[in-house]
Amino acid sequence: MTVAVYLPAALSLVLVVVVRAAVRHTAPAAATRGVAVAAAAAALAYATCLALLALTLLDDLPPLSTMDDLGDLPRPVPGPVAAAAAALLAWGLWRLAGDVRLRRDTHRRLRAAGSPRAGGVVVADWDAPHAVAVPGRPGHVLVTTGLLRALDGRERRVVLAHERAHLRHRHDRLVAVAAAAAAVNPLLAPLRDTVAHQAERWADEEAAADVGDRALVARCVAKAALAAHRAPVLALGGTGVVERVRALGRPAPDGRATGLLGPHAVVLAMTAVTLVAAAEFAALAAAWLG
Amino acid sequence: MAATGRRPHGALEAEVLAALAAAAGPVSAAEVRRTLGRDLAHNTVQTILIRLLEKGAVQRRAEGRGHVYWPRHDEASRAAQRMRATLSGRPDRIAVLRQFAAGLDDDDARTLRALLARRPEQP
Repeated sequence: MTVAVYLPAALSLVLVVVVRAAVRHTAPAAATRGVAVAAAAAALAYATCLALLALTLLDDLPPLSTMDDLGDLPRPVPGPVAAAAAALLAWGLWRLAGDVRLRRDTHRRLRAAGSPRAGGVVVADWDAPHAVAVPGRPGHVLVTTGLLRALDGRERRVVLAHERAHLRHRHDRLVAVAAAAAAVNPLLAPLRDTVAHQAERWADEEAAADVGDRALVARCVAKAALAAHRAPVLALGGTGVVERVRALGRPAPDGRATGLLGPHAVVLAMTAVTLVAAAEFAALAAAWLG
Repeated sequence: MAATGRRPHGALEAEVLAALAAAAGPVSAAEVRRTLGRDLAHNTVQTILIRLLEKGAVQRRAEGRGHVYWPRHDEASRAAQRMRATLSGRPDRIAVLRQFAAGLDDDDARTLRALLARRPEQP
């Protein structure tokens, strides 16, 4: 096997850099979808190549190991490298299972907090300022009195429109896909964060279209974040609120997705080298068995 | 995808519920209408309140010439209890949610306050 099998890991880092540049020129809806798909494809290529490397360990197993003594079997990959690949793959799958479990468990618990009687909204009488989209069929908004009281009527409308946009476009799925990719291949973690951020931007833009006032949405995002900052019981740092507010201060982005050509090219290259690696492995397996 | 989305009735119901939840106590239809911050006929607000009442989402009592309304406290506190149990001290669970009021560091908070101060307040 040649260098092809190692390339997806290296190209993951290239993808992260290319995506960072690309999302600046892409509307949030296209960026959220495009980066989620790119992350999934990249994780699949990475996992496939780790699996191919790990499978080369099979030549140490009976009955192949008996033939090993004959000394005529190709040994394509040093044993420790193959073992490390197997360990990385196992670690990634372990993290993936943990991420899936955490997401399911969290959504299940929040669904259990209450079912909406009307308007697709459940209010929780709690001072901590929270509004979350609880995915499901059809899903609902869970919002605390702490947040509702920090905002005026028009701003409450923004929050509800924002959360409904998350539900309508199933942002939870796109974010879960990117998170799964980052669990399998930790090098892709920046893509998970990009998808999460772009999903917030997407919902901000939908809310702005809904209420017809970008400045109002910007003010609302800022006020809600500052309310959370004053009551930092559950605060989570670095989620791009400032960038969201700034973006709402600029004109609405257009819908072009051409900015994603770079990431798509990198993903195509990863897929190609993975296919090359798979073909090489197939030739190897044929040699073993032949 | 059939989501809670664009149905105007549902959206207005949610806004009225949110207004009632934000109010300090039971409020009349006229007060709800004022706090919504959008141009709605009194009758529309009244209709939504009646619908919320029929769905068991709010309660009311006679006061003066009309009624005052308030959300169901039992369900709101139960929701709070369960939400708190799910999220308190669990940043990992919070991290998987699409959440509106995201946390900030002190630098971000300063920047946001400056941005807010620069924006003209809406009437």
